[in-house]
Amino acid sequence: MARKKPARYSAFDLVKRGLKNEEWPRLWDHHDLNKSYDAIIIGGGVHGLATAYYLAKDHGITNVAVMDKGYLGGGGSGRNTAIVRSNYLTPEGINFYNRSLELYGSMATDHNLNVMFSERGHLTLAHSDASLRTMRWRAEVNKLQNINSLVIGPDEVKKIVPSLDISRDAAHPIEGALFHPPGGIIRHDAVVWAYARSAAAMGTQMHQKTEVLDIICEGGSGPDGKGPGGKVTGVRTNRGDVSAPVVVNCTAGWATLISDMAGVKLPITTFTLQAAVTEPVKVFLPAVVVSGSLHCYVSQTDRGELVFGAAVDPVSTYSMRGTFEFTENLAGHILDLMPGVAKMRLLRQWAGLCDMTPDYSPVMGVTPVEGFYVDVGWGTYGFKAGPGSGEAMANTISSGRNADIIAPFDLARFAEDRLVGEKGAAAVGH
Amino acid sequence: MLLVPCPNCGPRDASDFKFGGESSSRPDPRTATPEQWRDYVHLKTNVAGNQKETWYCRGCRTYFSLHRDTVTNIFGAPQS
Amino acid sequence: MSPSRLPSGGAVIDRSRPIKFKWNGKSFTGFEGDTIVSALAANGVDVFSRSMKYHRRRGILTGDFWDPNCFVQVGDEPNVRAGHRLISAGIEVSAQNVWPSLERDVKAANGLVGRFLTAGFYYKTFMKPATLWPKYEKILATFAPGGAIDIESTPGRYDKRYSHPDVLVAGGGPAGMAAAIAAAEAGADVMLVEHNHQLGGHLLWGSAEDQKRAASLGARCIEVGVEVLTDSTVTGRYDGSWVAINQRNVAGETIERVVKARAKCLVIAPGLIERPYIFEGNDRVGVMTSGAARRMLNMYGIKPGQKAVVFTANAAGDAAAADLADAGVEVTTVDGRTGADVVRASGSGDRVEQVELADGTVYEADLLVTAVGWTAPTSLANMSGDRPSYDPSAARFFCTSLPDDVLPTGGLAGDGSLEENLTHASATGRLAARRGLTMRNQMRSMTPRASTGVPAPIKDASEPAPLPRANHPELFRSTTHGLVDFSEDVGSKDLWAAAAEGFDSVELVKRFTTATMGPSQGKLETVNTVAVLAEYLGQSIEEVGTTVWRPPYAPVSLGALAGKNSTPHRISSIHVWNKANNCKFIHAGAWLRPDHYGNAQAEAKNVRDNVGIIDVTPLGKLDLQGPNVPDLLELLYVNKWRKLDIGKVRYGVMVGEDGVVLDDGVTARLGEEHYMMTTTSSGAASIWEWAENWLQTERPDWDVRIVPVTTSYTSINVAGPKSRELLLKICEDVDLSNEAFGYMSARPATVAGVAESLMLRIGFTGELSYEVHVPAAHGLKVWEALLDAGKDLGVKPFGLEAQRILRLEKGHFIVGQDTDGLTRGASAGLGGLIKLDKDDGVGLPELRWAADRTDLAQVVSIALDDGMIVPEEASQLVDGETNTIVGRITSSRMSPNLGRSVCMGQVIPELAAPGSKLTVLLTDGRRVPAKIHTDHAFIDPEGARLRA
Repeated sequence: MARKKPARYSAFDLVKRGLKNEEWPRLWDHHDLNKSYDAIIIGGGVHGLATAYYLAKDHGITNVAVMDKGYLGGGGSGRNTAIVRSNYLTPEGINFYNRSLELYGSMATDHNLNVMFSERGHLTLAHSDASLRTMRWRAEVNKLQNINSLVIGPDEVKKIVPSLDISRDAAHPIEGALFHPPGGIIRHDAVVWAYARSAAAMGTQMHQKTEVLDIICEGGSGPDGKGPGGKVTGVRTNRGDVSAPVVVNCTAGWATLISDMAGVKLPITTFTLQAAVTEPVKVFLPAVVVSGSLHCYVSQTDRGELVFGAAVDPVSTYSMRGTFEFTENLAGHILDLMPGVAKMRLLRQWAGLCDMTPDYSPVMGVTPVEGFYVDVGWGTYGFKAGPGSGEAMANTISSGRNADIIAPFDLARFAEDRLVGEKGAAAVGH
Repeated sequence: MLLVPCPNCGPRDASDFKFGGESSSRPDPRTATPEQWRDYVHLKTNVAGNQKETWYCRGCRTYFSLHRDTVTNIFGAPQS
Repeated sequence: MSPSRLPSGGAVIDRSRPIKFKWNGKSFTGFEGDTIVSALAANGVDVFSRSMKYHRRRGILTGDFWDPNCFVQVGDEPNVRAGHRLISAGIEVSAQNVWPSLERDVKAANGLVGRFLTAGFYYKTFMKPATLWPKYEKILATFAPGGAIDIESTPGRYDKRYSHPDVLVAGGGPAGMAAAIAAAEAGADVMLVEHNHQLGGHLLWGSAEDQKRAASLGARCIEVGVEVLTDSTVTGRYDGSWVAINQRNVAGETIERVVKARAKCLVIAPGLIERPYIFEGNDRVGVMTSGAARRMLNMYGIKPGQKAVVFTANAAGDAAAADLADAGVEVTTVDGRTGADVVRASGSGDRVEQVELADGTVYEADLLVTAVGWTAPTSLANMSGDRPSYDPSAARFFCTSLPDDVLPTGGLAGDGSLEENLTHASATGRLAARRGLTMRNQMRSMTPRASTGVPAPIKDASEPAPLPRANHPELFRSTTHGLVDFSEDVGSKDLWAAAAEGFDSVELVKRFTTATMGPSQGKLETVNTVAVLAEYLGQSIEEVGTTVWRPPYAPVSLGALAGKNSTPHRISSIHVWNKANNCKFIHAGAWLRPDHYGNAQAEAKNVRDNVGIIDVTPLGKLDLQGPNVPDLLELLYVNKWRKLDIGKVRYGVMVGEDGVVLDDGVTARLGEEHYMMTTTSSGAASIWEWAENWLQTERPDWDVRIVPVTTSYTSINVAGPKSRELLLKICEDVDLSNEAFGYMSARPATVAGVAESLMLRIGFTGELSYEVHVPAAHGLKVWEALLDAGKDLGVKPFGLEAQRILRLEKGHFIVGQDTDGLTRGASAGLGGLIKLDKDDGVGLPELRWAADRTDLAQVVSIALDDGMIVPEEASQLVDGETNTIVGRITSSRMSPNLGRSVCMGQVIPELAAPGSKLTVLLTDGRRVPAKIHTDHAFIDPEGARLRA
């Protein structure tokens, strides 16, 4: 495989190329499809690209194709609200998110591409004693995992975010908050580009507009050799058939449809998750603010826009058209929290797809079909866990067995009644 | 806002309803194996296309089945 | 040379009504009907903002809502579109994002290093040292564009409205008006929504004859009963033909309104948006579109310059040249249809002074008007599922695949003369009426008991004959590079550079450069972006494709989206008394519940010593009747129910099909086939729906009728050793003796003269207690009677906090607090309650399998060795000095009756036996010893008080 060092990014190089009027080299090239690869990764988002990157970097596996039916980062990776944090409820979950947060923290220097990680603090508001209790639960578990996470009172909340209404007669009075100083926001597209650029430099091929139409299997108990007991031999794409002993499902939204192609059933239902952005105003919101009971979260970008998100929609769907109710509910709740933003205008709304599992935890690792791996079912949390799960998936693929960090999230847990306890905190969202 | 065709109330805003998810059939609790039972509790077909699903109308308090295309969100005729 | 007001003209201004306002602190006068831009231009102002990145001066580009150069601050409202907002008396308008002033802005220095600040430059720098990035970030944030908000301001008044038109027409230009008129004439209810302040569309900035035509069409709309909303925008069309409208010109104090319409047929007639041309210097003050020039001249009577070059490739440009000449402007016409081209605008102070053509000719000019073609704003079509396709001969996109209930007309459908357009629009309106009325009839027919009376749809409506498409040269970019996105300061050179780096699809180039991501959301920029990329890639515009236009069509204020800011609370009939008596309330779901009356510890003690009363109205109550009620109870609860006598009460727990605890409560048998079920407050609605679900879908043969009666009753728990004594005083028709009315019994009663009440002798608090349910209207009367009658017994009200203490002393768990999303029935200390020898039960198989499991966490009562410590709820239980979690405290309180703390928690099964030693990690980091309590209850484990 061709390897080349990517062009160095720095202020000096910006000036140099600016003076010479010199173009920058491509971050990744276009390729024809090979006849075969060592591994095919379906889904060119953070999870797929991180898996490809760590396969190459940690395990030297570079004869790899990342296939995406659209463009890189066009799914959940480019549609999420770019919040990162690690203050989850279960130690199993925290392992992933904390590792991811670490990797996000060093990503700009590791990849020589500024992903603009803004460690600005993350507040999850509590509007009732029950929700405050859940916050404390998370804080206490977090502390034991060395995660910086603490419960603070309304006055401290107000100090951190002056635009919040902490009065007692507010529609949803703020009783306190879970404060997570290392949480923040990041430029989600840049994360995608950083992984793609680094992986491509090691020889991994990026195939955009390459749709996997079927997964070719043999020996399985189902039709066409698919299903438990069989193994994968390749994929059929809109650009032709390609063989590979390893096929990794790193999709979100279409995870069940892709797994169906290998005859593997998943406990997943697909829902829409919506987000929206306002016109920019002068920066006034210094931290990420989440209200679990009001199902909304908000942060302000360095460009001055407020970025909003909510809980998944109530009706399962593959539609990404979005709804008006989302904007109405969102605006109502945001105004309850921050009455001062009424005159800001909502500029754009969009939707992405989330694969929801019964225990709000992902499904990862090996499947009953040899060579078919899944990294799916991340629900609304996928972006936050991308780097850590890429690393763990690469580990799993190279060894053929689930990495320890993945073990609690295996597919078998549903039949064996070993659900993960993240559901306890599910209501408290992002 | 989807317009949900309730068999009693006629087409009404989705906010009048509770979405009950894709329809599933309950195995016999006396004979079901853990695998069968947990397939019923957890596994989904999650079809991209025509799905039979359950809705509950908070107007007439009726549960009923509908077919909906999960890609276009267009409903078929209601069935009780 | 500055713009100025002409001595006459201006179709929309009223020169007899001057209005004073302020711009950057100075007073100005305009006329009624003036926008901020036109009023300022009339006063010679030509610069309205600074550009985002390079802080270059910016003047009128399109002179309307979409003008990216005319964003201003009005009072505490940021990002006001000055090309659209009308002036009103006294408004304070200022430039945004400039320092120290609009004319002298220090950040203009960015322009000097512009060659290094290529699109996406920030991805390539500020990485080292990593510790400095937060500081860089703070500096970058000061470059954020946009105005400022006042975080202390309170939202004004906003509201919402629903509408059910047969036909909704988006766009009040000639085509929209004609469609609306035709639809109304065909019998449909029609709503017409126009973005601008007047109906008329492009006729408004046309000739005097055009303006007359606009007025007569507008008058006809009113005559035929069309509901017209002006200064209102159809912001989105969603699934189910759900259409959102932002109405900005609302009368009275209301600032804005959102109208939600179930449009049975939607006609989209947004007209066309004129594209700016890309060439060097195209963002200079004095470069504007032909529409901008004509709006200034014909709507506001403003002469936009003295010497103009008009670069025209279509009739609109020709008309602009003629209008300018009529107004006394010296005009040079450059005809783009003949191959002539503008390559450069130059001058000082960011203004146009010279215009250079491709052949080297240079003209002195202070105004450069371009008319190079149109963007079809296909947003509403996109939102309806259409993927527009590009027609190179017309140089714009057209709809291809609209659903039947969305019909385009006007510029979205084609070109042709005004008459051809009106004919097409009328036919479209008739077809829309037919489809809208058909839909209305269909919806009626789907509603079994609906009345009739919908007009029959006309039959003679058919697809309109297609409008011709005019040939238009594909003019996007000159031979020089210029700006593509004016709000983001992104140029064609940036797009090429991005494509060269690999961002070579329209989605990627957009994300990398932020082109089309600004406030006009691509209305002016998208097609130019696609064209520039296509040119670089050597592909056609059709091959490159376009991005999806997302809602809203125009930005909507959060205030309008939120509507009236009201969160209703549920209250009981006793609320007024509570409010008057020092009660502190707690939000519990939608309910406001009494938390305490000043001293919860004393309230709890008084219950154990004397008697207390608590308002527990939110407790879920379901009236169940029918022969199969016992079957239903046996199905839903984990225990057995077929042998409950009339007048008896039983406790039950519900689990889901996964065996996880769902809810708990008691159910009383009141009659042969009559029961009352109580649920937790939060389960009041969901358990009702849960029960209905089982009845309707799995057991349709069972005869059970369920009526939710939660709020039909006011519920009061009378608890304490003196509760019987108290009730004896006000309840005459029930024998309250222990023999006649024992623990876990129910009796109909008349309480304080209120008949048809119900008493349950149960004991969540662990005391002798009676739950009294009285018809809600009489709740307060009974409450006051209890207080009055119990004076000498020491009766006191108590709140939820005291109840929490009392139930904890008794070791009663709360579903959702002491249990969680994974707590199985067998974990909740319910071993004896669960009956596995049933034919069926919700989650029964899981209960059976769980019975054999030894790995499930257990709900237990916990006592700290040091009873003076009250651990915070959620404190973790750890394995000695390690950080291994073995459980957690789920509830904890100081017990006023025991003088020590009492707790409940969950622990791993190995540590669940009574007496097991635990380590509690307090939130302050201390580790303190504790033990599993011998019994669930700390007080009265044998239940003597309950049964007294």
